Amino acid sequence: MRRSAPVVLAVAYNSFFESVRSRFFTLAAVFAFTAVYASVLAGVMAVDQEARLLADFGLALIELTALAYALFEASSALPREAETKTIYLVFSRPVPRWAYLAGKLGGALLTAAVMLAVMAAIHVSLLLFRGFDVPPAYAWALAGTFLKLAVIVSFAFFVSLFSTSPVSTLVISGIMWTLGHFAAEARFLAERAGGLKGFLLGAALWLVPNLQLFNVRDGAAALPLGLPAFFSAAAWTLSSYLGALWLLSRKEF
Amino acid sequence: MAGRSLLPAAAVLCWGAAAMSASSYRSPFPPPSELRAPLDGANGDMLALAAGARRLFADLWFVRLMQYYGTREVREESAEPGHEGHAHSLDAGGHEHCDHGADYGKGSYPEFLPMARHIIEVDPAFTAGALYGAASLAFNLERPAEAEELLTYGLKYSPKEWRYLTVLAAIGYSKAKDPAAVAATIAPLLKDPDCPVMLKQLAAFLNKRAGNYGAAAAIYSDIAATSKDEAYVANARRELEKLAGAGAGKPR
Amino acid sequence: MTAPAVSFSGVEKTYKRPRLLGADYLTAVKDLSFELPAGCVTGLLGLNGAGKTTIMKLLTGLLFPTAGKVRVFGHSPSEGAAKAKVGFLPELPYFPPQVRPGEALAYYGRLSGLSGAALARAAESAMAKTGLEPHAGKRVSEFSKGMLQRLGLAQALLHSPELLVLDEPVSGLDPLAIHDIRGLLAGLNAEGRAIFLSSHSISEVEKLCSRVLIMVKGRLSRSVERAEWEAAHGGLEKIFVEAVK
Repeated sequence: MRRSAPVVLAVAYNSFFESVRSRFFTLAAVFAFTAVYASVLAGVMAVDQEARLLADFGLALIELTALAYALFEASSALPREAETKTIYLVFSRPVPRWAYLAGKLGGALLTAAVMLAVMAAIHVSLLLFRGFDVPPAYAWALAGTFLKLAVIVSFAFFVSLFSTSPVSTLVISGIMWTLGHFAAEARFLAERAGGLKGFLLGAALWLVPNLQLFNVRDGAAALPLGLPAFFSAAAWTLSSYLGALWLLSRKEF
Repeated sequence: MAGRSLLPAAAVLCWGAAAMSASSYRSPFPPPSELRAPLDGANGDMLALAAGARRLFADLWFVRLMQYYGTREVREESAEPGHEGHAHSLDAGGHEHCDHGADYGKGSYPEFLPMARHIIEVDPAFTAGALYGAASLAFNLERPAEAEELLTYGLKYSPKEWRYLTVLAAIGYSKAKDPAAVAATIAPLLKDPDCPVMLKQLAAFLNKRAGNYGAAAAIYSDIAATSKDEAYVANARRELEKLAGAGAGKPR
Repeated sequence: MTAPAVSFSGVEKTYKRPRLLGADYLTAVKDLSFELPAGCVTGLLGLNGAGKTTIMKLLTGLLFPTAGKVRVFGHSPSEGAAKAKVGFLPELPYFPPQVRPGEALAYYGRLSGLSGAALARAAESAMAKTGLEPHAGKRVSEFSKGMLQRLGLAQALLHSPELLVLDEPVSGLDPLAIHDIRGLLAGLNAEGRAIFLSSHSISEVEKLCSRVLIMVKGRLSRSVERAEWEAAHGGLEKIFVEAVK
C-alpha cells in the first residue's frame, strides 16, 4: 500500500495537469468568467436584492460549470485512455488497478477543487468590486458543492466502466444528479403515497444519494455542514470507487 | 481474487451506510404539494428543484414580481413638511382610504399575492421577498388581508421571524387607523438590511406627518444612500430638499 | 538450462461480445504453448487476425487467458514482479501532444516505481539510447512518427526490463527510422535483454530474430530457428507463405 502511494500521486497529478492543459478547461474557465460577469445584469434587475441575486447566480453558475467539466472529465477519462492505448503503457507496468483508479479520481477531484477555487475568486472579486459583502456561508456553500461533485464524479467513473459511451455516462450521471436534488421531495411523496407504492418509492430512494444534504448554496443543508454530511459524501464516494474498482479489476484492454 | 469478489459487497455496504447517515435529513422547504406555480412557471420550478437552485429561482420570481408590479413614480402629495395634503379617498362603503401620501404602485395587480407567495413557496428563507410583497400589498395596494395571508404563510416555515410579526402588527395598527403606532412598530425594522424600501418610505412619511422631521430626514437619507430603486431614491432626495428648505432638518 | 523468460502452456483466449440477448464469442488464440528463452530475440509473424496482439496483451497482463497458463519469469503476468521485468511498446503508442518527452518519461518512470535521481538518470539514459536527446525541448505534437516510436521505446526501457515486448515496432516508419530502430534493438539485445516482437515485415524479423513463431488463425503453426530459414531456399518468406497458405 505504501509503495503505491507515489503511483496514486503520479496518476493524480498527471490527470490534473492534462485537464488544466486541455482546451476544454480554458473554455470552461472563459465561460465561467463570462457567466459570472453576466450575472451583474440579472443583479441589476433585482433592484434592492441585487447582492442576493448576484451571490445566488454566481454560486449556481460556479456549481453548474464545475459539474459540467468534472462530469465530462470523469465520463471520458477511462474510455479515452483505453481508446488511445495509453492504458497499455500504464497497466503493463507494476501499477495496481486500485492505485490507478484512486489517482484518476483524485486528479478529477483536484481539478474540480481548483476550478471551484478559481471561479469563486472571480465571483468574490466581483461581489467586493460591486461593494457587496460576501455571503456568510460562502465557504460552506463551496464545500457543499465540492462534496456533491465528489459523489457524482465518483459515480460517473463507476458508470463509465460499463456504459457504452461517454455520452451515456454523462446522461446517467446527470440524471443521478437531478434525482439527488429531488430526494427530499421524493421522500415526501413516498410517505404520502403509502402502501406498496410508497414502500417501493422509499426503497428506490436508497439508491439515490441525497445531494440536498450538501446544498448549503440553496439553504437546504444545515450549517455548518455536519459530520453526517461529510460521512455520507465519503461513503457514497467510496462506494462508487469500490464498484468502479470491481469493474476495472475484471476489465481487459 | 478473494478480495476482488468482496468489492461489490463492500460497495453496497458503503452505499447503505451513506444512505443510513443521510436518512435523518428533513427538508426545510415546503413540500411539493404546496408549490402553486403559475402555469408558465412550472418548468422553472422543476428546474429549480432538479438543479437544487431554489434560491436562484426564488430570486427570478422576485424579479418577475417587480416587473409585474411595474415602474413606480413615487411622489408625496404634501407641498411642505407636515402638511397633510395627500390624497384620501372614499371607497364604496364610505370608508376613508389613506395613501400615506405616496402615489405609487396603485392598480389591481390580481396576480400579486400568488406571485409573492410563490417566492416563499420556492424559498421560504427569502424574508426580504416576503416583506416586500407584504408591505406592497398592505401599504401600497391596500390589500392588508392578502398581506396577512402572505406573512402567515411565511411564518409557517419561519415561525420565529420577528420581522414578519412586526409587519403583521403594523398592518393591524394601520387597519385601526393609528399611524403613530404603525411608525413605532416598524421602527426597529428600519435598520434591518432586509427591510423593504416602501416600509422605510412609509416610516419616513409618517414621521414627517407627525412632525418628527429629524427622524424623517434620517430615514430619507438612508433610502437615498442604500436603495437601488430609483423612484424611491428620487422621492427621498426631493423630500430631503423640502425638509432642508423648510428648515425642518432638526427634530421637534 | 536457464529458466525461460516466458512460457505459454495450453493457452486459449476467447473474447466475449455481449449482445442484447446472449453474447458472441470469438476465439483469438487456442491451444497455444511455447517458451521464450531469456536473452534471445524472438519474432512473431502472422496475418491480420492471427492472434499476435492477443499474445502480446496476454503476456503483459492486459488480457486474462480463458484457459491455460502464462508465466513471465515464473510469475503470473498480472503480478507486479512480472511487470517489473517487462517493457511494452504497443503499436502506435499515444502521448499527449502538449507534453515534452522528458515529462512523459518522468510520468511513466514514476509508474514504474522510480523517483528522484534514479528517475532522472533512467529518463536521461532512455533518451540517449533512443536518440531523443536533441529533441528534448520539443513537444510531442511536433514529433514525427519515427520520433514517437523512439519515445515509445524509451518509455519501455525506463525501468531496465529484462524482456521487451514490442508490437509492430517498425510499422509505418521510413527506411532510415527502421534502420535506426533495428540498430537500437540489436544494441539492447547485446545488453542481454530478451526481445519479443511482432511484425508484418518478414525482412525485419529475418534480420533481427534468432527464432520466429508463425501464427495461423489463432494457433501456433510453426516455430522456426534462424539456422533453418538461412538454410532454406527462399528463406523465411517461403516458410511463412507455406505456413499460412
